[in-house]
Amino acid sequence: MSVISLPRKGNQPPAASAQIPFFSQAAGFHRLWPDIEARLHEVADSGKFSHGAQVARLEHLLADYTGATHVVGVNSGTDALILLLRACGLGAGDGVLVPAFTFVATASSVVHAGGRPQFTDIDPATYQMCPDAAARAITPRTRAVMPVHLFDRMADVAAFAALASRHGLTLLEDSAEAIGMRRQGRHAGLHGVGGVLSFFPSKTLGAIGDAGAVLTDDAGIATSVAALRHHGRPGATIGDFPAIKTGSELVGVNSKMDDVQAAVLIAKLSTLEQDIARRAELAAAYTERLSGVPGVRRVPGPVTDGRDDRDVCYAYVIEVEDRDRLATALTAAGIGTEVYYPVPLHLQPCFAGLGHRPGDFPHAEDACRRTIALPLYPDLTVAGVDRVCAEIRRHYTGTTS
Amino acid sequence: MTATLPFFPPDLFEADRDTLIGIVRDLGTAPAQRFILGDHTARFEQALRDTVAGADVVACGSGTSALSLVLAALGIGPGDEVVVPAFGCAPIAATVVTAGATPVFADVRPDTMTLDPGLAEAAITPRTKAIMPAHQFSVMADMPAFEDIAERHGLRLVEDSAVAQGATLRGRPAGTWGDAGVFSFVQVKSFGMPGEGGAVITRNPDLAATVRMLRNHGQDGKRRFVHHRVGYNSRFDEVQAAFQVRRLPGLAARLARRADIAAYYTERFAPLSGRGITPPPAGRDGRCYYVYCLRADRRDELAAHLAAHGIGTHVYYPAPLPAQPAFARYAPPGAAWPNAVAASETILALPVYPHLSDAQVEHIADAVGQFADRKESRP
Repeated sequence: MSVISLPRKGNQPPAASAQIPFFSQAAGFHRLWPDIEARLHEVADSGKFSHGAQVARLEHLLADYTGATHVVGVNSGTDALILLLRACGLGAGDGVLVPAFTFVATASSVVHAGGRPQFTDIDPATYQMCPDAAARAITPRTRAVMPVHLFDRMADVAAFAALASRHGLTLLEDSAEAIGMRRQGRHAGLHGVGGVLSFFPSKTLGAIGDAGAVLTDDAGIATSVAALRHHGRPGATIGDFPAIKTGSELVGVNSKMDDVQAAVLIAKLSTLEQDIARRAELAAAYTERLSGVPGVRRVPGPVTDGRDDRDVCYAYVIEVEDRDRLATALTAAGIGTEVYYPVPLHLQPCFAGLGHRPGDFPHAEDACRRTIALPLYPDLTVAGVDRVCAEIRRHYTGTTS
Repeated sequence: MTATLPFFPPDLFEADRDTLIGIVRDLGTAPAQRFILGDHTARFEQALRDTVAGADVVACGSGTSALSLVLAALGIGPGDEVVVPAFGCAPIAATVVTAGATPVFADVRPDTMTLDPGLAEAAITPRTKAIMPAHQFSVMADMPAFEDIAERHGLRLVEDSAVAQGATLRGRPAGTWGDAGVFSFVQVKSFGMPGEGGAVITRNPDLAATVRMLRNHGQDGKRRFVHHRVGYNSRFDEVQAAFQVRRLPGLAARLARRADIAAYYTERFAPLSGRGITPPPAGRDGRCYYVYCLRADRRDELAAHLAAHGIGTHVYYPAPLPAQPAFARYAPPGAAWPNAVAASETILALPVYPHLSDAQVEHIADAVGQFADRKESRP
């Protein structure tokens, strides 16, 4: 019997199987439930429900998985970015180069760390931050560069590392979406001084609430982030309630991870490689079915899938004509989609003070007008992909074949 | 030795363990797949409104974050000063610093250890934008006095009520004084839960709307990925909201049990005040017994004595805030906070959680009494 009850929403279609939500992890969660349940009992037995033993265990397992020397669990990917930037010693007004086409946290984290985002355009073929555009945007105030690994591949980290080295900049990575991605055998987030992971539910490794982590090989950064997440308290505080009697060495925040979320993530980490492979299969199925469909202007280009260089399809994003009408039609057909992102960061109201205008970053602006993300998660079936593609074809051609 | 009566009990939610696990299972497999700021959070916020005289409640990531959201929503930033107590939990100063503003420390009262209204008023300068008193351990700050000061000086008043959920002062609930208050739900708090979370409480609808926007990346709740303000990720998980909705009906009884235990302690300890042990001021108005903190002249010896009797204790704040490295740069040369220093040297918190049995409570009181007697019997 269900322990929770909510008022039933009206107008639910009789056959839920006809619906293809933009995201679900229900089936995978159900399969993993015995493991999750056992871990939740461990949490309850320990009596510490945040910043506890499961969080410590998750940090160790993620260090093993990513190869990072240090993993610091925090409350969200956004907080991870803020604390990473603060731990790097970003100063008041320091410029950080970021792409104009990304989630807002890439830039809002810079503001919260005291810096100033410097937007740059993207490569229109991959949506990744463009190293040449970044090089042109460098000013005397530029202190760091933070490319984002967006959707289904890594930014050109080798080029950004060279750029950072040439200009004396700190390289950080917004690798919030990039778990499982590697270049030259090195996991995303570890090509500069550090990176982050987001465990937002729809992520490749997703919790059922907010959670995130900082990845770094730099002991000093790890120590600072670990203190900052817990009110600036020094030393090992995880799993140790009485540690709260120490004073604050740094001006910190509260960004502790919940052990309930860590318990779910540990269980899901055990199937992450299968999930990644499944995502690649589904992405390939989409690309096969959507290539050449009228109205579909672009499907994702080839990604790398090797031992040392590997991309992971977190989001399957296509460019289409008259995007908003397609989204409406798919919604009407019971298919969920998402627009990542409708407005580029340089034109967001919150960054109006930076003085940008439409036309400043045309590739980012085009991407915001044309792109749409389709359902992609391990629970999705190939039959589901068939149905999404048939509806897209029907929308643009009037026929499903 | 390990305390048989730990200060931080590991079994706070034992009676609701199956409820918690059932909620995780149900939400994880539910068709809605909604895990953050969903219907459960909305229901939780609505349920809490009924406990704070209808003020708006905005659930967020933590009590600390709630303070940050309020300061940001009030437009407090670089160049502004905020008067805060010199003694208390780090967020009272840290949130001011992370907002870009300057904390100005004023001393606390010697008896309640809450911000002294007279000293706070004396700390006001032309740059002061707000006063942020904090309720401390079991005692609410003198909110009527602070409302008067804020009114006379045209300042914002932020109530750090993170520790006082459920208290009322002169009939008005903690959290509803001033422009906004906050709650914290970290597990040990009076309405603690198995995770991190907090809330902003305010009767100002514009402030509530701004906080709602700021907690979720500056979005207005209508159009996704349009960001009106440089916001935060300070959201509330549905698992925790569903759990808290289930636990809310039992809160009043748990608070009453805490108050009963505290009243018993205070009755037992009142006679010891001439012997180096002083209980907190008695009473129930403006009180929430989240932490029962007594003052002991020989605090560390008392803690050791209680530990030897299997009783865990805790020293919440070992040093005044301006004496901690993080905030030292906000301590003007020559300034002193003698009451904060005295508080940090003498405080000792005893277990006061609601599932302590009467016998355990008596055992703790006896052990404290023994210590006082032992001291007295010395030549």
